[in-house]
Amino acid sequence: MKHNLLITRPNFDVTTRYLFVWAKKIIELAEKKCGKIFDLKKQRANRKEFESVMRKHEPGLVFLNGHGDERTVAGQDNEVLIRAGENEEILKAKIVYALSCRSGKILGPYSVKAGADAYIGYDEDFYFLYDNDKQSRPEQDKTAEMFLEPASQVMVFLLKNHSPQEAHINSKKSFACQARKLLTSSATSLESSAVKYLIWNMQHQVCVEK
Amino acid sequence: MSNEQEIKQLVMERLKTLPDNAGLSIGAQGEFNRDELISHVQNGDEIGQKIIEVELSFLRGLKEGILYET
Repeated sequence: MKHNLLITRPNFDVTTRYLFVWAKKIIELAEKKCGKIFDLKKQRANRKEFESVMRKHEPGLVFLNGHGDERTVAGQDNEVLIRAGENEEILKAKIVYALSCRSGKILGPYSVKAGADAYIGYDEDFYFLYDNDKQSRPEQDKTAEMFLEPASQVMVFLLKNHSPQEAHINSKKSFACQARKLLTSSATSLESSAVKYLIWNMQHQVCVEK
Repeated sequence: MSNEQEIKQLVMERLKTLPDNAGLSIGAQGEFNRDELISHVQNGDEIGQKIIEVELSFLRGLKEGILYET
């Protein structure tokens, strides 16, 4: 079954710039696999537009990129898009992936309780290393790729019609595989440093389901 | 040296291996270079505590074979 996809892509600091660029790759894949795609990027990643598109078009898949905390996920300039206890019912009957810090802790369970089919996110901060010299060209940053590629696997598998649990497990496997590759004697000091953050992200990715 | 000081020292030594052109994103907390990370650990502030937690979690995880369970 082809889902419609809503994706939020704020872009206003280093972290959101990287997520913005990496999410573009998911949009390219979604163009082959999805029905309609609603790309709320930059200024369009605001609460009014987010709620309006969610209510009007009811996308089955929701991919949130941006900053967050235990109860919220934010959009452009940190405007809160969803807050637990306020508007999580908007995620009813949706499969959600939040590439965002900590929202898997409270917002995830609240969303599922309010009727979301599944909420995949992180219950702690999401870490990634990047190359300062590549900040203006995130798509060429091999350092950030070590982190954002495994994190993207959730969406890759969801778009291939795998279940949320399968998408979650495959993303975790991808983090572990990346970490194992870097635990070799030929790894650079940067690569060796990356392992602990990869494992952290892997351990703190959660999938809450009905 | 107290246990806490020893842990801080260990984490700071490990952070010194980061190249100086590397940045670390910690979500909404911001982005940090190697020297800033070391300084946060030294000060024992919130960011420093997070960095220590990641390091200790990693060492515990390795001991428990975390990479081979997944």
